[in-house]
Amino acid sequence: MASKEDILEALTDYQVQCNNNKRLRRMQRDWSKLLHFLAEDTNDIFTMDVVNGEIVSFEAGARDTPDIIVTTHSENLCDMFWGDLNPSQKYLDGEIRVKATQEDVMRLDAITMIIWPDV
Amino acid sequence: MTTLKKILKLRTVVSTSAGMALATSCYLAGLQVAIILVGELAWISIMVAGIFCLFAAMCFSELTSLYPTAAGIKLFIQNAFNEKAAIAIGAFYVILGISMVGAESYLLSSVLTDTFIVFSLNIDKFLWMLVFILFVALVNYRGIFITGLVQDILAYSMLSFLVVVSFYSFGVNGVDISSAIHSSEFTLANVVKAAGVGVFLYVGFEWVTPLAEETTDYRMIGRGMLLAIGILSVVYSLFVVAMYTGLSEEQLVSGSPIPHIVFARNLFGPIGVAIFIVMSILASVTSFNAGLLNTSRFAYAMARDNVLPRVFSHLHPDYATPWVAILALLIFAVSISLLILFSGQYLFIIVMAAALECIIYVVMALCVLRLRKKFPDKERSFKVPFGRLIPIITIIVFSGLALGLFADVSRDYTGEVLFANYWVAVVMALCAMLTTLYTLKVVPIFKKKAALKAQSRKRRRPGRDQSATQD
Repeated sequence: MASKEDILEALTDYQVQCNNNKRLRRMQRDWSKLLHFLAEDTNDIFTMDVVNGEIVSFEAGARDTPDIIVTTHSENLCDMFWGDLNPSQKYLDGEIRVKATQEDVMRLDAITMIIWPDV
Repeated sequence: MTTLKKILKLRTVVSTSAGMALATSCYLAGLQVAIILVGELAWISIMVAGIFCLFAAMCFSELTSLYPTAAGIKLFIQNAFNEKAAIAIGAFYVILGISMVGAESYLLSSVLTDTFIVFSLNIDKFLWMLVFILFVALVNYRGIFITGLVQDILAYSMLSFLVVVSFYSFGVNGVDISSAIHSSEFTLANVVKAAGVGVFLYVGFEWVTPLAEETTDYRMIGRGMLLAIGILSVVYSLFVVAMYTGLSEEQLVSGSPIPHIVFARNLFGPIGVAIFIVMSILASVTSFNAGLLNTSRFAYAMARDNVLPRVFSHLHPDYATPWVAILALLIFAVSISLLILFSGQYLFIIVMAAALECIIYVVMALCVLRLRKKFPDKERSFKVPFGRLIPIITIIVFSGLALGLFADVSRDYTGEVLFANYWVAVVMALCAMLTTLYTLKVVPIFKKKAALKAQSRKRRRPGRDQSATQD
């Protein structure tokens, strides 16, 4: 089980990886979304604000009404943000559940694929 | 409970489900139903097929309430049986989905070449097919989505239009039900046989299940499917009977793949043809746009899951669309449409689609029973009523319909045999063998490669220095 601090640390790294990746920033340049990540085992919620492909902020707790809700085990969230997990596999296995449009589900997975292509 | 900014409404779920089923090939399939049975009574088989599809829709609803995800069918089969079965059946479903794009583009090109010829019939047909498939591929490549509102307007206007035209036609041509009832063709066997083909009219209603992720109440998907089937039953029943009674004997035996255009010409002249052409284009384009969208995303997900070669997961740097998967499916769809163009056997694909759809519904009903046994306490926001009865009826009915289809022969309107349907079974068995072989022999190679790669990669997460754990 990953703690709130573990996930926030992972998110810090994730933000740097995303924002420093030119290819990803180009691909997501018109993608502005508010995301909620829900750790179902700890009931922790995290909010992430993406504006034009840049992660401008993230925080513990739920803020505003999101465009995308990702629900999974806290360990999966942590591994996903560290790039140690293939979100597509977990999604196809039903371990990661996403509430969003089909396009947003795809864009979300694209982030991991671009940053860590060998995952 | 956190909710979403944009939530899908029931009317859009219904319009998507009905819109996916409403395509140009439906008019041809509808007339097939009318030919098998007595035309004026075609509505009986259409209603029967609708009721059967309602049962299948209930099974889909229960499964969607268990696993409300775009990965739907794969996840249902994987959890009920195993991953190998899920991959093999999923791949088969995709192949057929994209084959339908080929068949649909052929029929759509027939609609246009019936009106005007620029070069020659076959060259024009080929060019139109290419134009439609390329257009849809381009829309997918650019990542342009049909919004819920556009889908609503398109679907509801098409459905209303068909109803209005049907009643107008009844007023002009009349319907003689009483003599049809006394026809020797009106038998229980023919009602069931025609219902087997009638199932094709509803093909695609379940493609709405990926939208479960855009709703807050998963039961809405189930309700939407049931409503869509109900609406389609009524609209098809009216229109098929209207079309049959609106065609002359000569036109009925002409074997035209576009009977609705001939019907429109009889009823309204050139203006009617123009309106029906626009309707056909809208219906087909929205239907096979969704077909290509779903199949390309499925191929992308399979590649990310190391089931297909990694190249299929390549994304366009600007549009974030799986362009390799789209290109591969585009080539496949063009190949199928060429095959249909040269052989003229568009009915073959339609029969195959109807049979595969029957098989998929059987598999879904089996999944319901198996998952109830495996996970009896798992929360289901919708459960098919009357215990096991409806899933069992679904299994029996659709197995019977599939077998009935295979045992039959496909005829043209003059009654001449086009092909024995067991050839459809042979082609499907070959496809099933290929996808099974691929699943058993090729997929493990990709999985092993991915596992080796994962082993050699250090985990990034601090304090977790062991290699990354991937399947």
